[in-house]
Amino acid sequence: MTFNMRRNFFKQSFLGGAVLLFYGSSLFGAVEPLKTLALVQEDLFPKAKELEVDTASYLLLILEHSRVSSAKKEFLRNGVQWLHEESLKLYGKLYYNLSQQKRQDVLQEISEYSWGEFWIESLLTYSMEALYSDAVYGVNKKDAAQKWLGFHSGEPHPKRAYL
Amino acid sequence: MTYDICIIGSGAGGSPVAYELSRAGFSVVVLEKGKEYKEEDFNKDELAVSRRQLFTPELKEEQHVIYELDENKKRTRYVGSEEQWSFWNGSMVGGSSNLMSGFFHRLKPNDFKLLSAYGKIEGANIVDWPISYEELEPYYEKVERVVGVSGEVVPHSFLEPRSTEQFPYPKLQENRVTEWFDRACNSLGFESIATPRAILSHTALERNSCSYSNFCGSYGCATGAKGSGRAALLQKCNATIITQAFVYKLESDATKVTKAHYYDADFKTHELSAKIFVLAAQAIESSRLLLNSKNHFFPHGLANNEKQVGKNLIFSAGGAGEGRFRFEMLTKEQQKELMEVGVFFNRSLQQWYEYKKSGKKIKGGTIDFLFEHQDLIPRIKRAFYDERGQILWGEALAQRVHKELTTSRVLNFEVFNDWLPTDECFIGIEEDVKDKYGIAVGAIHLYSHPHDREVGNELAKKAVEVLKQMGAKEISYSISSSPPSNLVAGGCRFGENPKTSVLDKNCKAHALENLYVTDASFMPTGGSVPYTWTIYANAFRVADILLKRLKS
Repeated sequence: MTFNMRRNFFKQSFLGGAVLLFYGSSLFGAVEPLKTLALVQEDLFPKAKELEVDTASYLLLILEHSRVSSAKKEFLRNGVQWLHEESLKLYGKLYYNLSQQKRQDVLQEISEYSWGEFWIESLLTYSMEALYSDAVYGVNKKDAAQKWLGFHSGEPHPKRAYL
Repeated sequence: MTYDICIIGSGAGGSPVAYELSRAGFSVVVLEKGKEYKEEDFNKDELAVSRRQLFTPELKEEQHVIYELDENKKRTRYVGSEEQWSFWNGSMVGGSSNLMSGFFHRLKPNDFKLLSAYGKIEGANIVDWPISYEELEPYYEKVERVVGVSGEVVPHSFLEPRSTEQFPYPKLQENRVTEWFDRACNSLGFESIATPRAILSHTALERNSCSYSNFCGSYGCATGAKGSGRAALLQKCNATIITQAFVYKLESDATKVTKAHYYDADFKTHELSAKIFVLAAQAIESSRLLLNSKNHFFPHGLANNEKQVGKNLIFSAGGAGEGRFRFEMLTKEQQKELMEVGVFFNRSLQQWYEYKKSGKKIKGGTIDFLFEHQDLIPRIKRAFYDERGQILWGEALAQRVHKELTTSRVLNFEVFNDWLPTDECFIGIEEDVKDKYGIAVGAIHLYSHPHDREVGNELAKKAVEVLKQMGAKEISYSISSSPPSNLVAGGCRFGENPKTSVLDKNCKAHALENLYVTDASFMPTGGSVPYTWTIYANAFRVADILLKRLKS
């Protein structure tokens, strides 16, 4: 399955559907989880872009995996809602409509909550998996992250992706 | 067709029996729950093997229910799939021996007579084994030759008696930091031992030598150097192996097992007949199968009329610790030595396998040292938090990850000591929780005797002394009551008395004429080393017993 096909599939799946936001006691609107998660990943570890690793595509791949539990997937989706709600509370705007500095403020704020800390840790973990994934997974074609750490992957390499 | 031997499970307990009996011309069938992988199928894909646990069942399909009894006698129930608490180790041909690190130590003579040598301990069901070290020694030696153990025998306080002077295969190449270790031990008066490994250091036994790939434990071996039951034994015999065959029931009459019933990958049921059945599905699952095989003659489960099946479950007690070496305290040459990867850090201490405290002789254990596993994601995750425990991201995280992984390295140690058998640690059945086949799952009742942690702490303090002497910083350790899921034994202990044991000294069920158990279930006490070498050796011993029986 190509990434575009996967992306199309995911647009119809749980991360593709809109997340409803409440501000105070009333419905504020809806946000796109995929767009949010991709931006948060970039904000959390901009080095990935420098290393030419497509962390957002990896997230799409991994969240389709049968061994990633529904609870973990649901938590990521819920985190999107809570992040935007925190952003609305602090600045009256959605997370992805904030400046870079204010987005960092929101991340700092949510990291004080246990859900926020764990949500950040989860996203960072998936980003790191992308960074050090084998070329067969298609998101880290240049091994730049391995070179950055002087890390030699074990051999033999996989012949096919286990996804 | 009725086979001569039907073996359930193809790991270290089952593969020696399959190897010996099929090579002697008997018809042998092995029923293995997992798939078959060969050398060419193995690779070092951390995402698949370590992050997504490719070789173990998905917990939502197959799991255990765990009951933990704490020191205050409070029991807590955990459902494996909800807590992500897994006791699976490797469902595949050759079982978890494919994924072991292959730290091979023999038991010592006193491990066979723990009760006689060290006396009773309140609250623990300590017994002597019905066989001696001397009876098992020829089979330890056989494993060295046939499975392949590399190492170097050096004299030390607790070197067990050997029938040969040296290992048949020379020790593996070592990281030069072992020289720092040896010097530290020398100055402390400690006896450094090169850890024997079930890994071939050169091409032999129709298998390739180790390629020093830097990823060994948890990974299948792509060269065949690691002495898995598959590479060393099953691939060299013509036993019939039926894969993806989950045995859910053994059928019996009053005296004999008659059939094994199993599901295939499509959930279709099959049955198979044999003259002799050998159970080796790993300790927890072997007891579970017996307990789930109730019938008119055995209403409490097969071979369980005395209600001993599942009792006296044991693990390896102890824990782990570490120290970090940072570039700023090392010379350029030392930095280079520290970061050398691929080659092994094979060092152990057994000087306190027995020690004295307040004039009393205490059974101690083994300390193995090794570099932190090369899996990258766990090492990076450790850098997610700063010294104050605050989560990092952005440039601060990038800098910390880079510093931790490129200018420092962690040396770990693992403590192995006896997990004393007790009435509170056992395997049962959780009738209300079923696996994907609709079969009731195993209930693992955990309890660790306080004595286990006392001994573990004594040993850990010795390891800390070595790390300090080597110059390591940030030293820490944890000795806990948490069981290592890959070091499990007991549940069908062997012994002379049918009232207090499931198996006789030949590992045949007291209650049945043709049922043998050859995984670690037979062990009434576990010794203070990893179990695999002893499982292999005992399975070869039972194979000899079966050969004599079938030939007579």
